[in-house]
Amino acid sequence: MRRIVAILLLIIVAVGISLSLAKIPFGVPKTKVGRHYINEGVEETGAVNIVTSVVVSYRGFDTLGEVTVLFIAAIGLGAVLTAGGKEKTGKTEPASLILSTGCRILFPLILVFGTYVFIHGHLTPGGGFQGGAIIASGFLLIYLGCRERRISQKASKLTESLGGLVFVIIGLLGLVSGGYFLLNFLPKGTANTLFSAGIIPIIYIAIGFKVGSELAGIIDNLIEES
Amino acid sequence: MVNPVLLIAVPLGLVFAIPLFALFWKDAAKYIPPAALGFNLVVSLLLLPKVLENPVIVSIGGWQPPFCINLVAGPVGVLFSAIIALVGLLVSIYALNYIKEGATEKYHMLYLLLLTGATGVVLTGDIFNLFVFFEILCISSYALVAYLREKSGIESAVKYLIQGAVGSSLLLIGIGLLYGQFGTLNMADIAEKITSVSPVSLFVPMVLLITGLGVEAAIFPLNAWLPDAHSSAPSSISAILSGIAIEVGLYAVARIIFTIFGASSIFLFLAFLGILTLLIGEMCAFSQNNIKRMLAYSSIGQIGLILFALAIATSYGVTGGLFQLVSHTLSKALLFLAAGYMIYQTGSMEISALEGMGKKMPLTCLAFTVGAFSLVGLPPFIGFPSKFLIVRAALATKETFLFAALGLALLGTVIEGAYFFRVVQVLYFKADMPNPGKKEAPVTALIPMFIFVVLIVVVGIYPKLVTDVLNSAAIELLNRLDYIRSVLG
Amino acid sequence: MSFLNNYIYYIGAFGLILIGLYIVLVKHNLIKVIVGLGVLDTGVNLFLISVGYITKGTAPIFSRSGIDPELMVDPVPQALVLTAIVIGVAVLALALSLAIRLYQHYGTLNLRKIREQRW
Repeated sequence: MRRIVAILLLIIVAVGISLSLAKIPFGVPKTKVGRHYINEGVEETGAVNIVTSVVVSYRGFDTLGEVTVLFIAAIGLGAVLTAGGKEKTGKTEPASLILSTGCRILFPLILVFGTYVFIHGHLTPGGGFQGGAIIASGFLLIYLGCRERRISQKASKLTESLGGLVFVIIGLLGLVSGGYFLLNFLPKGTANTLFSAGIIPIIYIAIGFKVGSELAGIIDNLIEES
Repeated sequence: MVNPVLLIAVPLGLVFAIPLFALFWKDAAKYIPPAALGFNLVVSLLLLPKVLENPVIVSIGGWQPPFCINLVAGPVGVLFSAIIALVGLLVSIYALNYIKEGATEKYHMLYLLLLTGATGVVLTGDIFNLFVFFEILCISSYALVAYLREKSGIESAVKYLIQGAVGSSLLLIGIGLLYGQFGTLNMADIAEKITSVSPVSLFVPMVLLITGLGVEAAIFPLNAWLPDAHSSAPSSISAILSGIAIEVGLYAVARIIFTIFGASSIFLFLAFLGILTLLIGEMCAFSQNNIKRMLAYSSIGQIGLILFALAIATSYGVTGGLFQLVSHTLSKALLFLAAGYMIYQTGSMEISALEGMGKKMPLTCLAFTVGAFSLVGLPPFIGFPSKFLIVRAALATKETFLFAALGLALLGTVIEGAYFFRVVQVLYFKADMPNPGKKEAPVTALIPMFIFVVLIVVVGIYPKLVTDVLNSAAIELLNRLDYIRSVLG
Repeated sequence: MSFLNNYIYYIGAFGLILIGLYIVLVKHNLIKVIVGLGVLDTGVNLFLISVGYITKGTAPIFSRSGIDPELMVDPVPQALVLTAIVIGVAVLALALSLAIRLYQHYGTLNLRKIREQRW
């Protein structure tokens, strides 16, 4: 009974959406806003990666909201899961020698790669979120490989807070110096070099650290609970 | 002149800084939300006189709209952020002594984030930014419903989360369809381009957007999560959810329909949905024994009434709807705050357990009674002028369907009166036990309740205090062309 | 055939969305419902990106001089999807933590049996 109702509902949704998709041809350039960003983006923001300039500069407020959402998830997880006095049931057996050594060798390499991705966010594909996710996967590898190591909860909380605070403070500095929140007030430099694009690399570094420590904290909470 | 961005940026910065403050001062987390919300209240009240004539448009990042995100601080936005700040401030003072167990630092951070998300939703002028702040609001509320970690809380939070997540995905599909057709995400820009497309192709995005936002706004049939969620959350959170979160959802629906789509053909259907929601909410509330569940169903009913008033779509109707919204926020928050301590004293949420509370907690029960009478619409409380305005608006349109709907709305009010009087009767007139000692709620709870009572009575006696602001707000909502002109120049 | 060629991304994205909706509506196990939410999120993100695609376009990065700006895909949907993916991850993480707690309280993950709040 429930299946039939669900399938009927889905057929209605599918028909409705295909009707309106007919108005959006695939592969045809449609937007003037997108064109403006591509044509003027490098001059106006100094970043050669146009997606980065859209994410951090033109639509930076959305990125601030996104960083906040991840923060909420980390706090919510902590609030729901921290039991208070529940010991771990059962001991996990230690990993084999090859696994733990391999993880220990790979971990710094992964960290360096993640850092590279978020520092060069304005020059190559990537950025703060991608780099942070890579760093968190390095931490996950350590949890799975060398099973007794944990990162300090306090350090990860402090990094999260500092990352978010740096983002908001840079926005407020833009407000103070130029009258617009998140104004790009540092010099833009020459395009395609590391020290260019004003505040964009700084914001992405803050986001990279924040996301990395946040996702690692989430993984830590979930592993502690089971 | 103060920049409206500070209404969002300052609380956000303070939330991020709470763990850093907590290193030096253990109790910092309790006092930062009242400080941040006090700041917001002051800024909103300073901005309010200036935006009544012309909305303040703030571009983020120094670019010009439509190539950037912009905030539109008009009468609606600043009025809503003032209300959010006021109610949030009072409830956070209440929570200073109410929230004692669990990870209290996290409660306060999530609380301030919820209110920041709500402020962002009412101030923004960009549809994807609306989605992002809406998600901030929703996800904090999922986490806060589950805060006490009891059986009922976790179960309600799971159901709320699943329905909310599906709603958000539908909202995102609608935004994608709009972007594909118009190539821009700015609300004023879309509103300008809407007239160039046939209305048929706009039907599907509009339905998706209303469904996605309607889950949070608790429109029937999308409100199955509400009774569980609002009754299992801690009482201060129930006050915020019933008083702010669903109203902000309804504001988002109104903004989409009035400003972006200007869809006059859907108003009749929305009025019908509003009356349906009202009747179902009031009838379910009548049969409840659990006081918080009864209040939650009453919220559903009131949202139906507000939706009906907004769907009348004349200046009277929208003013009446906004007035009813303010009245519901103040009254329902007061009811939940009072119920919170009554439940704490008796240890049970059943109405029959509240017998004789009138003698045991006289001030709290008086506050509850004021809230109840105000919600039903008795003078001299704020519920009376707001309901009167809605009646006058419906009668002024001369449409027979609206007359019939008005009759049903009045029937709903009668049912509402019935179940609230039943509770008041239990509180005061069933005292067959000997006089127990008075065990009143603590001062930090009494002060916010008292301020709510004062506001309800004062605005009820002099509604002129707020009707000018509400009138400007209604005109801003209804007047698309002025909105487009003020943003795009 | 060229219709299929043109619209295959839309069909794929909506297929995922419909599958995700079906799982959320019909399945009883909470973990399956959460997986369904994930599939739904993936479908929506895929749809958003394919709205911005330009035929024979390339990534909007001016890594060398002399790249033709006319052939770049629209950067705005990519920024939107970045945000949407992160929000989806946050919701899934919260859902999983609630599932863990729910299992501790009820001993089962069957949504039909977790119905203490009636009426």
